[in-house]
Amino acid sequence: MSPIRRLISRLSGKKRDRSLGENELAELRAAFASRYHHFKLLLSANNKALEIMSEMEKALSGDRSFSMSFVRSQSTAVAVNVFSIVKNLDELAPDKYAELYERLKAIREGINETLAAKRLPEGDRMVAQLSEIGRDMAGLVGSKMANVGEMAGALELPVPDGFALTSAAYQRFMEETNLQAEIDRRLQSREGENLGDLYALSSEIQNLIVSTPLPEELSKAISVAYTELEERTHKGVTVSLRSSALGEDGSDTSFAGQYRSVLNVSGDNLDAAYKEVVASKYGLHAIVYRQNRGIRDEDVAMCVGVMAMVHAVSSGVTYSRNPLDAKDDSVIINSVWGLPKSVVDGSVAPDTFVVSRDPVRISRRDIRVKAQKFVCYPEEGVCRMDLTGKEKSVLPSLDDDHVTALARIALNLEAHYGAAQDVEWAVGPHGTIYLLQCRPLKQITAENGRKGLPESGSAIISGGGTASPGAAAGEVFVIRKSSDVLRFPKGAVLVAEQALPRWAALLSEAAAVVTEQGSLAGHLANVAREFGVPALFGVPGAVGLLENAGLVTVDADGCAIHRGRVEEVLSNARAGRKNLMEGTAVFEALKAVVQWIAPLNLLDPDAPAFKPKNCRTLHDITRFCHEKAVSEMFAFGREHHFSERASKQLYYKVPMQWWIINLDDGFDKDVPGKLVPLENVVSVPFKSLWEGINAEPWQGPPPVDTRGFMSVLLEASANPNLDPSMPSQYANRNYFMLSKNFVSLTSRFGFHFCSVEALVSARQGENYASFQFKGGAADLNRRVRRAHFVADVLEEFGFRSEIKDDGVFARVEGHPEALMEEKLIVLGYLLMHTRQLDMVLANDSAYATHRAKMVGDLTRILAARPPKPGPPPEEKEAARLAAEGE
Amino acid sequence: MDTFDVLIVDDEADFRDSLLKRLKKRNLNVSGAGSGEEALAVLKEEPVDVVILDVKMPGMNGIDTLSAIKRLRPLVEVIMLTGHANVEVAMEGMEKGAFDYLMKPMDIDELLYKLQDACKKKRLNEKRERPVAPRSGSAA
Repeated sequence: MSPIRRLISRLSGKKRDRSLGENELAELRAAFASRYHHFKLLLSANNKALEIMSEMEKALSGDRSFSMSFVRSQSTAVAVNVFSIVKNLDELAPDKYAELYERLKAIREGINETLAAKRLPEGDRMVAQLSEIGRDMAGLVGSKMANVGEMAGALELPVPDGFALTSAAYQRFMEETNLQAEIDRRLQSREGENLGDLYALSSEIQNLIVSTPLPEELSKAISVAYTELEERTHKGVTVSLRSSALGEDGSDTSFAGQYRSVLNVSGDNLDAAYKEVVASKYGLHAIVYRQNRGIRDEDVAMCVGVMAMVHAVSSGVTYSRNPLDAKDDSVIINSVWGLPKSVVDGSVAPDTFVVSRDPVRISRRDIRVKAQKFVCYPEEGVCRMDLTGKEKSVLPSLDDDHVTALARIALNLEAHYGAAQDVEWAVGPHGTIYLLQCRPLKQITAENGRKGLPESGSAIISGGGTASPGAAAGEVFVIRKSSDVLRFPKGAVLVAEQALPRWAALLSEAAAVVTEQGSLAGHLANVAREFGVPALFGVPGAVGLLENAGLVTVDADGCAIHRGRVEEVLSNARAGRKNLMEGTAVFEALKAVVQWIAPLNLLDPDAPAFKPKNCRTLHDITRFCHEKAVSEMFAFGREHHFSERASKQLYYKVPMQWWIINLDDGFDKDVPGKLVPLENVVSVPFKSLWEGINAEPWQGPPPVDTRGFMSVLLEASANPNLDPSMPSQYANRNYFMLSKNFVSLTSRFGFHFCSVEALVSARQGENYASFQFKGGAADLNRRVRRAHFVADVLEEFGFRSEIKDDGVFARVEGHPEALMEEKLIVLGYLLMHTRQLDMVLANDSAYATHRAKMVGDLTRILAARPPKPGPPPEEKEAARLAAEGE
Repeated sequence: MDTFDVLIVDDEADFRDSLLKRLKKRNLNVSGAGSGEEALAVLKEEPVDVVILDVKMPGMNGIDTLSAIKRLRPLVEVIMLTGHANVEVAMEGMEKGAFDYLMKPMDIDELLYKLQDACKKKRLNEKRERPVAPRSGSAA
């Protein structure tokens, strides 16, 4: 038996033992203090658990992005707090509710199962030769390499020779070296940091990966595969290493440009290059991208394609259909001198060829000045932008035969896959076309005709091409170098000279994107479209013209940028951004796990079903424990005979119909006897509540219309709780349990049940006030109406509220003390003035009148409050209440 | 609340040192240990009210260290603070008597409140006539 129980059994059932010695008194005080501390810990865990649940539910509404770290840490935190609640309740009422531990165990097993689901790599070989890869092997080699293998094998198209390092290779690297555990830990610890800190984290993780030696077996397998490639091609062949992550380039989420490729690698540098590509999984924009798109970190295994280098004369990207207009079936080819890097990263404006499909014929040529080209020299690692020379820069980078050949290949691929394709290719020194990759193309349905520009002619610039449709307004922010990324303000318009892939990390923050150079084929354009961020590329002189323009409206559809915010353009724009999280793996994981956590099944504490065995979610347990803890504290305080902690009647001029249990330090000194004078009560939240109760005299019951009165009579005869001869739950009195910083009020005003609970202290994060209001004598219709009325007024004053039948549950939290005091004044006022309101809430005009009166009263009361310390509140109302009695 | 004695156990020296400094600024007596073994050695020699304990450490892991601390000094309160968000591990820690299981990153003020609450619990337990053993969570 616990010490406190022994003490209580000695005390209970008899009058206070006056022979209690000093030692025993001290012991008893300690036992009470400890008990109160458990109660406080329970409340604090209760508060935290509810907060986390509401955060999880908010995340499901989809207005922010989150990662698996969020799902895991929130689930863990809520489980820990609920455990803490159960444990502290067990301290208050030992073994009485032990069944809860079993319920908790069952629920957390459900949570665990939901979170543990993990995808395993298909097969365990670390290397797959290109010749044996087909499109069905995306689970082993990633979709990019699966498609390359398909082109080479099933379609017999020219593809550079090579092999893939599989997801099994990746898994072994991450697991045998313990990298995965370490990365998870770091990601978890730094969750929720700003972009700047995330940047540091990203380079930390990448350094970690690059500096970890490969498992010996993997390193050996790579070297063997390379030697075989040398035998098939030539000694000392240099290769490219490209990311082919699982899930990359799927039709839903194109990870366009998020990962690294390493070009021109020689045999002895393969391990380092492999690790570099793997590390790019944790590049800043890749981390942000996964987070914004709800992709689980563990679902992305980094497979790597290793292919012999093509020393390209020219190269580019073919779209088998117009990506910007689903109704246009022309093939579109973007082409530059040298390797395709500059067309993909948007650093060079490419030549564009438009080819009709039936018959295959070039319908338009757009030859640009391509002053630079990206080339690799056979010497290891040397790749750079070279000048193309004045004469060559203006020449078409493809001849017509190559254009039509490329168009035919794209059409074949489209036919083979049954969907529009995006194909990357290079033309070798002898004119041979090599295909480097292909993936499904996502087309946008273009609207009919461009929106007309506003009459005002407010355009600062017009021109460029729609890289991503829509319109948005924001302050201009010019990005010149990578470090500018860290200063980018949320909601700004990103303006840059070039459409570089590394700006992609900003697309979740940017309102719109404008660049001077860069093609609609580039990675940045792809990602902008995917994120639904309006983007206008190829706008000449944009940086200079917009630099100091401040607020602008970017009309990507109309290819113009306007000064200020132009509502007409904005409202013309298509529907806003998509909810990017919905349907993603992370979103689904949260949704599944929340089912174990947030739904509340135990609503009515008076119902027979309000039992531990019916707790099906963590919220149920929380609700159950809170109810029981309050009543355990209450029953204990009321029933035992330890005078210092017994319930006392509040005394102000006369004894009042309010009883007070001092849990700890709620009185300024020991108060002997059965009455406690108001001035001895020093509980901060109590005093505010009391101030609200007395702030405005109650006008007496409002005039009742006849139907209202009838309604009360009918309900009274149907509800045994209202029959004075029955033992009734409504026969309770008004009780405060309090301490210096805590108050819990349980009250029956007439037919209404009401409770207030609040914690107000310097620990701002722990502050809260909750309010429950239920019951009433009128018919259900009017009671429901009143519940809405109360919720409505409370929301006006910053509470969150929820209505269930005729009950209102409202909560506010996390404010500093002074503000919390105001919230309690509002609650005190409502406690007094919503009594019997249901009788007058028969129609809309009564509703509006009373609402206006109450909001007006409260606003005036709060405004009139002098800075602390205020004058003693007017208490005559409380005296009236005392006289009315029960 | 008066000052009290805190021991931070974490194998990551940077983290340990920076937390140590920040808590010292808030007038706590703080010391550090780089492993579970080291922590137990400190507990044998010095007074400690609350231990902040990492979960994943080389050598003796956090959960084993927790059990050992509770055997050695049943009244000392232990707060797990970790980058390891795992429901099962967290529950195991709570069942073995941890005061709380917190996840990095942790707001320093919130951590301070947790430390104060844990220390108050310890003080109250000390006042009672005999220490109360931590309840096992698997009570059934």
